[in-house]
Amino acid sequence: MNVNQKIANIFLTSRVRQLLVAVLSVTFGISMYVFMNSFMQGVNQEQTEITFTAMSHIKIYNELPNEVHPIKSAPKDSNAVLLVSNNRNIRYTEGLKNADAIKQELTQIPNITGVTAQLNQNIFIRNGVSQASAKLSGIETANEDQLFSTSDYLVEGNLSDLDKQSNVMILGTGLAKMIGVKTGNNVSVLTSDGLSKSFKIVGLIETGSNSTDRTRALVSIQTARQLLSENRSYATEVLVNVEDYNDARKTAAVIQQLTDYKVEPWQEGNAQLDSSSVLRDIIAIAVSLTILIVAGFGIYNIMNMTVNEKIKEIAILKAMGFNGKDVVEIFLTQSVIIGLIGGLTGLMLGGAIVKIVDNVPFEMGPLTTLPVAYDSSDYIMAFAFGILITFIAGYLPARKASQLDPVDILRG
Amino acid sequence: MTALSVDKINKHFYDPVDFHVLKDISFEIEQGEFVAIIGKSGSGKSTLLYLLSTMDTDYDGIISINGTQVTGLRQNQLASFRNEHIGFVFQFHFLLPEFSVLDNIMLPALKLKKKSKEEIENKAMELLTLLDIKGLERKKASKISGGQQQRVAIARALINSPAVIMGDEPTGNLDSKNTNIVFDTFRQLAKEQGQTIIAVTHDDEFAANCDRIIELSDGMLV
Repeated sequence: MNVNQKIANIFLTSRVRQLLVAVLSVTFGISMYVFMNSFMQGVNQEQTEITFTAMSHIKIYNELPNEVHPIKSAPKDSNAVLLVSNNRNIRYTEGLKNADAIKQELTQIPNITGVTAQLNQNIFIRNGVSQASAKLSGIETANEDQLFSTSDYLVEGNLSDLDKQSNVMILGTGLAKMIGVKTGNNVSVLTSDGLSKSFKIVGLIETGSNSTDRTRALVSIQTARQLLSENRSYATEVLVNVEDYNDARKTAAVIQQLTDYKVEPWQEGNAQLDSSSVLRDIIAIAVSLTILIVAGFGIYNIMNMTVNEKIKEIAILKAMGFNGKDVVEIFLTQSVIIGLIGGLTGLMLGGAIVKIVDNVPFEMGPLTTLPVAYDSSDYIMAFAFGILITFIAGYLPARKASQLDPVDILRG
Repeated sequence: MTALSVDKINKHFYDPVDFHVLKDISFEIEQGEFVAIIGKSGSGKSTLLYLLSTMDTDYDGIISINGTQVTGLRQNQLASFRNEHIGFVFQFHFLLPEFSVLDNIMLPALKLKKKSKEEIENKAMELLTLLDIKGLERKKASKISGGQQQRVAIARALINSPAVIMGDEPTGNLDSKNTNIVFDTFRQLAKEQGQTIIAVTHDDEFAANCDRIIELSDGMLV
């Protein structure tokens, strides 16, 4: 240990209480940063997961393109003018005629984690006198369950029952209540084509979203196809999930190359979710930065005080022949050590707080405890920033002190 | 050999008004001389001493110490020069309170790095003996008496065997017994070790017993 380090060491160890205060300020700042980041990220992730319990990342369906394609191309002769009035797009087909072919194409794409086809149609559902409009949802039970964990939300019955018999259905709890049916009852279903059929209720589903629970009627996709007289491979949408929901746009563009049907990433269909997710991220960053800046000021204040207290000793050292660089080295050493100790304890304290919060009970929706995220990059960033701040906080006052004239201090 | 020479020194204070504190000061001090700088309060003697110590660089004129012209050197060069060639004793001991007596004495030599730690420690112990404060080496500097502290400060000033020792009222804070001890030490260093010593002092008795007196009045040599 050279002379300067020896001096720094004695300065540090001779005033333990001061050292503690300095270390604690670093500890506090870093632990709060770690905790707030983990908490906010946990909440953000939870919000996103809730979003995607009912929504897929990408939806493929039959939809008119936005631009109206010209019926006739412009004439080559510059003397002629083309006038087409009332240029419109008319949809000639409904739904996806061959959903299986689309699903087959999708197997080429590596980052897709799940695919399911759905056949959705508006129907009327009747129990004696009570009647309600509902949304018939024909699903591929296994695939649907994989994407949306549908069976978790069943309060009665089993999802696989839909495949075991034809003409069986699972109702949303709100819908069942509205028309007054229970599991085991029969209902009458009327399609928009005027076809009427009888269905038996084999289960009830409650997702927690009122609009869904009051309208949804689940059947197997085969049953739906039969009811609507469509062929084997017909569906109204194909839903796709990818590894990272942030990649939805990119993957949707890839899929669009493979089909003429509309391929819609979740951000397009739900701009408000995308924007709220971005806003939450912005708030999280703003809060984190604020914590770091405030902590930084605190640390700077303390380091400044420490140097100012030792101003006489700095003058004595200079009188003995220590130069400006030595003075800076002595105080920088002290602040770096404070930063290291404070940083490490800050990380540990932050981690501990996160663990505690992780166990706080919070029963709402799918949550049982408060959500937190464990992201090692938070800890690394927090530590690096802590060191940086203490370095600057120590360097600035040390440099000022090193430039002082010892005469002024000693004679003053 | 000339230990220190001063040529046409002029210094002004500018705050609050322009005050010409040192006017055309020139003199030479030979090696081994024990010189006292005296004068009334405000005559400029401490100001002169701090110029000689290289800690104050705001002046006109030329100062040379030990054959080297120090006027015009940069701050870092001056710091090195001070470290090696000048030992300073203030009126207040200005020891580093949290360090031990031994550490306080050794610091300037550890900075100079010309000798090994063991050699420096030996020299420090010698100085402790010379100044009759042996036994205090491990004690914290804040925990010894005023007179002992001043002697530790002198030992610290001597550790690098400097060309010149400069003292700014070194006995100002001491009682007569300790003043005598310090004076005798300085005397001994000058006579037996050939140490050049310049001391600013208010104490007429102290001054009378020095080899030479430089008297300042209103910033000029008398």
